Amino acid sequence: MTTAARALRGGRSDWRLHALSVFSLAVAFVCLASALLVVVNLQAVEARWARAGRASIYLKDGVADDDVAALRRALAQTPGVSGTRYLSQADARKDVLGDGVAGALAALPPEAFPASVELDFTPELGDESIATLVAKLRSVPSVESVETYQRWTERLAALLRGGVAASAVLAIVVFAAVVSVVASTMRLALQRRRREIEVLKLVGATDAYVRGPFVLEGAMEGVLGAIAALLLLGLLFSIVRGRFDADLAMLIGMAPVFLPWPFALGLTALGAMLGAIAALAGVRRFAAV
Amino acid sequence: MAASLFRPLLRGGPRFDDAAARRPILTFEAVYKAYRADQPVLRGMSLVVERGEFVFVTGPSGAGKSTLLRLLYRAEQVDDGRILFLGRDIARLTDGSIPFLRRNMGIVFQDFKLVAGWTVYENVAVSLEVLGLPSRLVRTRVGEALERVGLAGRGPDRAEVLSGGEQQRVAIARAIVGEPAILLADEPTGNLDPQLAIDILGLFEEIHEAGTTVLFSTHDRTLLEVRPRRVVVLDEGKAIDVPQGLAVPGIRMAS
Repeated sequence: MTTAARALRGGRSDWRLHALSVFSLAVAFVCLASALLVVVNLQAVEARWARAGRASIYLKDGVADDDVAALRRALAQTPGVSGTRYLSQADARKDVLGDGVAGALAALPPEAFPASVELDFTPELGDESIATLVAKLRSVPSVESVETYQRWTERLAALLRGGVAASAVLAIVVFAAVVSVVASTMRLALQRRRREIEVLKLVGATDAYVRGPFVLEGAMEGVLGAIAALLLLGLLFSIVRGRFDADLAMLIGMAPVFLPWPFALGLTALGAMLGAIAALAGVRRFAAV
Repeated sequence: MAASLFRPLLRGGPRFDDAAARRPILTFEAVYKAYRADQPVLRGMSLVVERGEFVFVTGPSGAGKSTLLRLLYRAEQVDDGRILFLGRDIARLTDGSIPFLRRNMGIVFQDFKLVAGWTVYENVAVSLEVLGLPSRLVRTRVGEALERVGLAGRGPDRAEVLSGGEQQRVAIARAIVGEPAILLADEPTGNLDPQLAIDILGLFEEIHEAGTTVLFSTHDRTLLEVRPRRVVVLDEGKAIDVPQGLAVPGIRMAS
C-alpha cells in the first residue's frame, strides 16, 4: 500500500478531525489572502497613477477665453506635452455630478468646480522636466494651481509599504496558526491511531514509513485550507465587485483585481509546505517514532 | 548507516552466511535486566535455542517471560550480557537497525494487537507492505497465510467483528506471512478459553513443523502437558532448562 493510500485511509478514519482542522486553516489563510489582495490592488493603483502622465491646470475664476487659448497654444508647443483639453466649469460640474444633478453635491456653488486645462505628457518626459514645467505654469497669472498627482502616488506608495508590512506580520501569525493547528491535529490523530503505529513498528516499519502518511495528511490539510480560503475570498470578492465595481473604479481609477494565479498557487504551495513541516514536527516531537 | 543495518544471515542471496546457518538461532549469554536497581528481572540468564526448535518459556507472573521476549525484539535493552540472534548481537544494533531485526521475527501477543478498524486482509498485509513488496505478491501471500490459520475467505471482514480465537488467528497470520526466522508468542492463549487455547497451540505446532523456530511464552500448565516439548522455566532471574518437558515425572513447576 502506498504512502498516499495509507494517508487516505488515515484521513478517512479521522475525517471529522481533519475537516475541523482544514476549516481552521482556511480562516487563517483568508486573513493572509485578504491582506495580499489589498496589497495587489494597491500596487496596481500605484502603478496606474505613477504612469498617469498627466496634470490638471486649474484656472482662476473669470479667465478670458483668449487667455485660455493662448495658454493652450503655448502648451501645445512645449516639448513633452502630447495633448491639451479644456474643461469649462460646466464640464467639470457635469464630470463629477453626471447628468442627474441632485442631492447635496448639486447644491455646491459654481466655484467648487473650477475650469481647467488637462495636460497629457509623452512617456519620455521625466520627473524633473515635469517639475520645471509645473513651476513655470504656477507663475502664469491666469493659473490658480497645478495638480500633477505626484502626492497621490507618494501617499499610495506609503500606503502600499504599510500594507506590505501588515501582510508580513499577518503572514507570521498565519504561519504560527498553521503550524499550531496542523501539529495539534497530528498529535490527536497519533493518539487515535496509536495501535496502528504500534503494529507498524512491531512488523518492522521504519520511522520514515510510519511518519509518511502523517506528513502527507498535514500537507493535504495545508493545501485544502489554502484552496478553501481562496474560494471563500473569491466568492466575497465577486459579491463586493458586483455591487461596488462602478464606485470602486471611479474612486481608484481602475477595476479591482483578484489575486493573480502565481499568488494563488504560491499560497497553496505555502499551505502544503507548512502543513508537511508542522505534521513532521508534531509526529517527531510527540510520538517519538 | 546502511552498513550498520541488521541483515539476516540465514537466508539465501549474496550475504548468505553458511557458518551462521550452523550456529544456534538464538543465544542468551549472562543477560541482566532490571527495571528497578534492587529488583532485577533477569540475573545472568543464559539460554541457547537451536534452529527449528519449539521452546516453551514459562514461570510465575513477574518471572521475566515477557521481558525475555521484549529484549529479543528490542522493545527493551539489556543491562548486561549478550543476545545473539542470527549471529548478531541485538544489544549492539543501532536504532535504525531495529525495524530490520523485527522483519526477521513474527510476534504474537495476548491482546492480539490488531487494528480494529482495518480488515483482516489489511491487518495481515501490513507485515509485507512495510517490506515494499508488490501488491500482487502481497495478495497471494496473505491469502496463503489466512488459509494456513483457517481463515480463508475472511479477508474483507473487519477485525473488530471477529471472535477472540479468530482475532488471534489473524495475529498469527500476520506474524507468519513474512516467513520469519523465529516466531515469538507472548502468552498468546491468555485471553482464550481452554479448548481454543489448545487449538491455537496446535496452529503454532503446525507452523513449527513447517520449519519455523517458535518461542512460546505461557504460564498455562495444561498447555505444557499437551505434548512433551522443551520447556525453559524462568525462576529468580535464571533459566532452568527442561529438555523433555514438564510432563516428565518428577518435574514440578512453582505456581
